[in-house]
Amino acid sequence: MNAVEATRLAVESIWANRLRSFLTLLGVIIGIAAIVATAAVIEGLNKYVADKLSDLGKGTFTVQRFGIITNRQDFLDAIRRNRRLRREDAFAVRDLCTTANEVAWQVRSTADVRRGDGLLKSCEVGGITPAILEIEPFEVADGRIILPFEEQRAVPVAFIGNDVVEQLFGNVDPIGKELRIKGQPLRVIGTARKKGSFLGVSQDNFVKIPYSLHRKLYGTDRSVRISVQAADPSRMDECMDEVRAILRARHHLRPAEDDDFDMLTAAGINDLWRSLTTTIFSIALFVVGISLVVGGVVIMNIMLVSVIERTREIGVRKAVGARQRDIVLQFLIESTLLSCVGGVIGVAVAYVASWALRSFTPLPAEFPVWAPPVAFLVCTGIGVFFGISPARRAAALDPIEALRTE
Amino acid sequence: MTDAVIRTASLTRSFEMGSTTVQALRGVDLTIERGEYVAIMGPSGSGKSTLMNLIGCLDTPTAGDYWLNGTSVAKLDQDELARIRNREIGFVFQSFNLLARATALRNVELPLIYGGVTPDARRERAAAALRAVDLEDRMDHRPNELSGGQRQRVSIARALVTQPALLLADEPTGNLDSKTSLEIMALFQRLFEAGNTIVLVTHERDIADQAQRVVTIRDGKVASDERKAPAAAGDRKT
Repeated sequence: MNAVEATRLAVESIWANRLRSFLTLLGVIIGIAAIVATAAVIEGLNKYVADKLSDLGKGTFTVQRFGIITNRQDFLDAIRRNRRLRREDAFAVRDLCTTANEVAWQVRSTADVRRGDGLLKSCEVGGITPAILEIEPFEVADGRIILPFEEQRAVPVAFIGNDVVEQLFGNVDPIGKELRIKGQPLRVIGTARKKGSFLGVSQDNFVKIPYSLHRKLYGTDRSVRISVQAADPSRMDECMDEVRAILRARHHLRPAEDDDFDMLTAAGINDLWRSLTTTIFSIALFVVGISLVVGGVVIMNIMLVSVIERTREIGVRKAVGARQRDIVLQFLIESTLLSCVGGVIGVAVAYVASWALRSFTPLPAEFPVWAPPVAFLVCTGIGVFFGISPARRAAALDPIEALRTE
Repeated sequence: MTDAVIRTASLTRSFEMGSTTVQALRGVDLTIERGEYVAIMGPSGSGKSTLMNLIGCLDTPTAGDYWLNGTSVAKLDQDELARIRNREIGFVFQSFNLLARATALRNVELPLIYGGVTPDARRERAAAALRAVDLEDRMDHRPNELSGGQRQRVSIARALVTQPALLLADEPTGNLDSKTSLEIMALFQRLFEAGNTIVLVTHERDIADQAQRVVTIRDGKVASDERKAPAAAGDRKT
């Protein structure tokens, strides 16, 4: 008997017991759907992060008090060790670094923003030096960005995000209008193009003001984040070394001591992010792997039941000339097909789920193109692995005994 | 001798039942020529089922030898026996043993599937076999849409479709009423007259009497071997 015949038999058999087949497959369906949906979310996040990081521009890195810290001990060490980065640190980098093209910095705080009776709570207020808008570009929707002289003289101007426009101005043109932060009136000089949200956090809820003005409003004890753009992007490492040397000298660090600040590059953040999501994915894979094993065991179980139910049929087939391998092939193809049907349904469910996640939640799910072929391979593996024992059992039946079975 | 479909020599089969050994067959010597119509009779426990299983290549003897259509099959392995069953033997069972989900045509095709016959040729031969048992208008019916007699005729068509050397029927009328039994026996008579070699296992005397030769098994041995005057088959044998 060839594979075509066996496949036809398997289809007939699965279809004849379709409810049972479907219930049998739940484990595989859920397993495959869960893993593919997880992959879709992670793929979406990776793509989004890579996309956002490319905003940061080539040859650009940042220096801040804390980098991305992923465990408690590092956090405690960093708090003890790392000093605030001061304006003077930024000045030193700007004035001393010979391989940098632009050096800018910003501080962040959160404030309630008012316009007349209107109130926008917990808005990010960033004190910036104008060059930062060159390094981390904002697309200007209307008006202009903050100018160097406005920063030098602490002119009360504001460059605002789309949320601020919508919440406080509605349909009114905000350019030239007034906002208040901590009682300080600010004149809106420009608006940024809408960026959307990331993981449910709006990227448009900000007011950028001159760094000098921020110092006046919030004091001098906030750590600044320094952004540096290397003159030659291909030699960013040299630029980073120079900045590191400048800051270590300023902080009087001995050679054996660790840096008391942290430097991040787009590539570094991306690597860190990817290693994080890879870890998440491996954990998910492990958990879902268990569900696939359970799914496989259920398939094995139902195949064993099927062999017992069809003992007589097997006897007839053997009597008319089926060899052991014909029977093995028949049952193996049935279990494999069963498992693959589960895989197809699982992938379909995941496809719908990733569409739904993208459409109705902030998660940027991206259906991975490799999912269908990989799911197919995995399901074939499950079908063969868990189907071989029932199939062997069927093939080993004694035809005389099998024909005698009621 | 060369034209013997079945030849057994001191065929012995014993079963281990716990600590004791049960001798089901104690040396059976039996020769059945091509074109014979033989009934094997015997009470239950006589060993006739064991003999039928051996003749049908479903089982192998403990001792002795068995030539089916000139080939010694006593020492073949499972897959070789399957091949012999597929080519040389057509089984007809008491309880029909049709596949419930398959149509009559598919059921008859079954041995050809395992014989590696191409789909087109398969269909054609299965249809021809169904025509031979007068079921050409029931080809697309499933067994549960057929009467008992029709089912048995499908199973006979399945047995004939490979043109086997031997048609082996195990109580073929056991599940049928007397009228249908007569129809089936008439069909066997027709097949015999057409030149088929038929071995019929039964415990009913009047069924056995339809055959040209009646072999009685008792206590694992051939107790009697009666031949009727060769009537229709007389001109086929020298």
